[in-house]
Amino acid sequence: MRRVTALPAWLRWPLYAGVGIFVLTLVETLDDTDRLTSASASQSMLRWGVPVLLAGLGGLFAERAGVVNIGLEGMMILGTWFGAWGAVNYGPWVGLLTGIGGGALGGLLHAVATVLFGVDHIISGVAINILAPGITRFLASEIFTGYPGGSITQSPRVPGVGHFTFPVLAGGEVGGWLSPNLLGSLGDRDWFFVSNVANLARGLLTQVSLVTIVALALVPLSTWLLWRTRFGLRLRICGEHPVAGEAQGIDVYRYKITAVTMSGGFAGLAGAFIASPELSGIYLEGQTTGRGFIGLAALIFGNWHPVGVLGGALLFGYPFGLGLRDLGGTASHSLLLVNAVALAAIAAWSLSKGRRTNAAVACVLAVVAAAWYLLSETVPDWWVNILPFAIVLLVLVFFAQRLRMPAADGQRYRRGEH
Amino acid sequence: MPYAIELTGITKRFPGVVANEQVSLAVEVGEIHAICGENGAGKSTLMKILYGMQPADEGAIRVFDKEVHLGSPTDAIAAGIGMVHQHFMLADQLTVLENVILGAEPTRSAGRIDFARARAHLREVGQAYGLTVDPDDRVETLEVGERQRVEIIKVLFRGARILILDEPTAVLVPQEVEELFRNLRGLKSAGTTIIFIDHKLDEVLEVADTITVLRQGRSVATVKPGDVTAPDLAELMIGSELPTAQTIGVTVTDEVALEVKGLTVVEEDGRVVVDDVSLRVRRGEVLGIAGVEGNGQAELIAAIIGTAAATAGTILFLGEDVTHATVRHRREAGIGYIPHDRHREGLLLQAPLWESAALGHQTRAPFAKGLFVDRAGARERTEWVRREFDVRTPSVEVATHALSGGNQQKLIVGRELAAEPAVLLAAHPTRGIDVGAQAAVWDDMRAARAAGLATLLVSADLDELIGLSDTIAVMMRGRLVAMLDPATLTARELGAHMTGAGVRGDSR
Repeated sequence: MRRVTALPAWLRWPLYAGVGIFVLTLVETLDDTDRLTSASASQSMLRWGVPVLLAGLGGLFAERAGVVNIGLEGMMILGTWFGAWGAVNYGPWVGLLTGIGGGALGGLLHAVATVLFGVDHIISGVAINILAPGITRFLASEIFTGYPGGSITQSPRVPGVGHFTFPVLAGGEVGGWLSPNLLGSLGDRDWFFVSNVANLARGLLTQVSLVTIVALALVPLSTWLLWRTRFGLRLRICGEHPVAGEAQGIDVYRYKITAVTMSGGFAGLAGAFIASPELSGIYLEGQTTGRGFIGLAALIFGNWHPVGVLGGALLFGYPFGLGLRDLGGTASHSLLLVNAVALAAIAAWSLSKGRRTNAAVACVLAVVAAAWYLLSETVPDWWVNILPFAIVLLVLVFFAQRLRMPAADGQRYRRGEH
Repeated sequence: MPYAIELTGITKRFPGVVANEQVSLAVEVGEIHAICGENGAGKSTLMKILYGMQPADEGAIRVFDKEVHLGSPTDAIAAGIGMVHQHFMLADQLTVLENVILGAEPTRSAGRIDFARARAHLREVGQAYGLTVDPDDRVETLEVGERQRVEIIKVLFRGARILILDEPTAVLVPQEVEELFRNLRGLKSAGTTIIFIDHKLDEVLEVADTITVLRQGRSVATVKPGDVTAPDLAELMIGSELPTAQTIGVTVTDEVALEVKGLTVVEEDGRVVVDDVSLRVRRGEVLGIAGVEGNGQAELIAAIIGTAAATAGTILFLGEDVTHATVRHRREAGIGYIPHDRHREGLLLQAPLWESAALGHQTRAPFAKGLFVDRAGARERTEWVRREFDVRTPSVEVATHALSGGNQQKLIVGRELAAEPAVLLAAHPTRGIDVGAQAAVWDDMRAARAAGLATLLVSADLDELIGLSDTIAVMMRGRLVAMLDPATLTARELGAHMTGAGVRGDSR
């Protein structure tokens, strides 16, 4: 077999990011705008990316153990309620823990159904997605209605944990000392590309929620846990070849149940984050808006690897963040041109691999995106909402051969049945 | 000599059958002990009991002179017993090292795997037993023989002193078998006790120090290889002489039933799996395709039946170009098909037998009347297949999965031959079925050949290929690399051709 001589991940992802920023810079220049690479664009990308990242990591643990967790959305909903409840009563940090706990309960339910009772993973997941809003509505009607400012569909205001601005690089104040803002001054220079990178970097380092830092730390931590520890190896064998694990005396059920429960915990944390002041500052019915599913999309995009999930989460968070401050739809309109460029690149790449049909499809889509860009001034807001799903579809269509899901993912496993 | 394993009076009952009845077995320390018997003789059950995967209903197990209770594989591993399963227990996407250490990971604090120590131990084990593998290879990149080595190393890594190998040669070509036997002798001289399950008698006689024969769940004899011949063993195993695949007489006609010209199949990822293959099968001829598995045989068959698209080339069936025809068209035109995996492609396991018997023929009489299923006709035809092809079942209404592998296969063969096809594509028609059923399938294929059927036979069983074929084509990396005459061919020579070690055959 041919060995793939790929760049190591720590080099590959920054490279992708660099190319992406370069394209954004080009489009900005063409379109005469500065919103695509502003500090607020990257800041809101991160903010919107975090729940997707956490949901994606949740999906990662479940699917690496062989259980498809389409119930992430429901577990996230549980996280919003429990997170808000804990934060309102006991403070923001406790709120995060209760959010994790609420999601983990949903995960445990999914685990028991799929692992012990052999229920189809999709059916159990869908059931949880239906069940969760019912549970939170019931709990809200029992509890939140008794709070000042609460009702059956919403909680009182939820307090948040602190923020952190990286001194020297992004400015801020440390104990009365006004720190320099290196990236800020670099960003103001208007140097092509360099200033754009500096602005985006400043956005990522300014007013970062401590939860965001925790979430980002979970990426290397998950990688370490899954690939460097005994627990991780045993968890992964459950997703690749559970019978082989059983033959080595590994308790496959236990690892699967643990993994899916953890998965729910991740989704719960994502939910708590959504309810926190970072995004909402309140529990509100229906506020997750399908982000559990987008987390699954990030998981597929990221090829079942934590770093890839982060890449997917940021990629999907970007248009959301951009669209949020873009009531006129002009910045999102610029994104159309970015899409056209990306599709053209895919077309060229497919052609170089000899995949003519793929190249033709990408080419047509590029032309459509370019034509839409040229013939309109703004885009409707649903466009931003479907973008993540469109990207996943494109990834699946054009890069499917590079994606490797765990070999036994989604399969029912019964002990002693082989 | 002390005994490594002593089984006394082992009995295991499953609902309706006794898999093992009062089986006794004594294995000396440091010997290679072969266990042979037909499929269904209880070999696998016995080994599962010994490896703690199933509890015995009665009987005692002693390992190194200590009575043990083996409730799980973990107990067996602790007692020093390791098992190499017939179907490899390896995760393709993990590395060799990860597969080997799984379940016995050397760790540092916080559950961190100590990869340095794992590597060192792996190297030690490899050197001690003369087994080499690259720990960082992904298993999916390994050849079958290498995977088996990984399995053996995996067991030794855990300090096993007793090694159970379940039909280890079933997946190997002759050259790999020799390599395996060399390794086994090396292990033996290092003091390992080996239990070796097999039903290929020449192999058993070659490598074993002691042979125990099981028949219908009982241990019928324990012999030394010097004292018996292969026919003796066969008689012990089945109580009668071994069937052979030998074909008598030439029935080849001039009429070409299937012609393939320049057939090429390219996978989506750009791999050329069938490369410019041309062949002809005449009425009354069996053309055998030999080759190490994964060299394009499966894809060749798939392209001819139509489940894979031909990238280039033509397929002519009785002179008609069917290269772009649908599978259904090809089936209705008269191409019969015995798939290599009967469970996945050949049968409806949950459905009654008569529905399985209709599979692939569901659009035609007697299985259909116009748009509707003809239940009565289907049952009647299935009854006929059951009688003519000796499918042993209480009725045609039982669920297909309830039949043994041999009877399922007889049903498929009967179903295909009953439709009187002009061409039969037979992929591994006797894989994994017992000797009796194998003989029946061979008889049926011979009779159909005499009646003018053109057969394209793909098989991993070299004796079957040599015995049944009129001509053998060797397939390697998607190409036909040699045409051989089975009349003057030994399995050993054929194996050499399959691995590319052979001389050029007489091209016809």
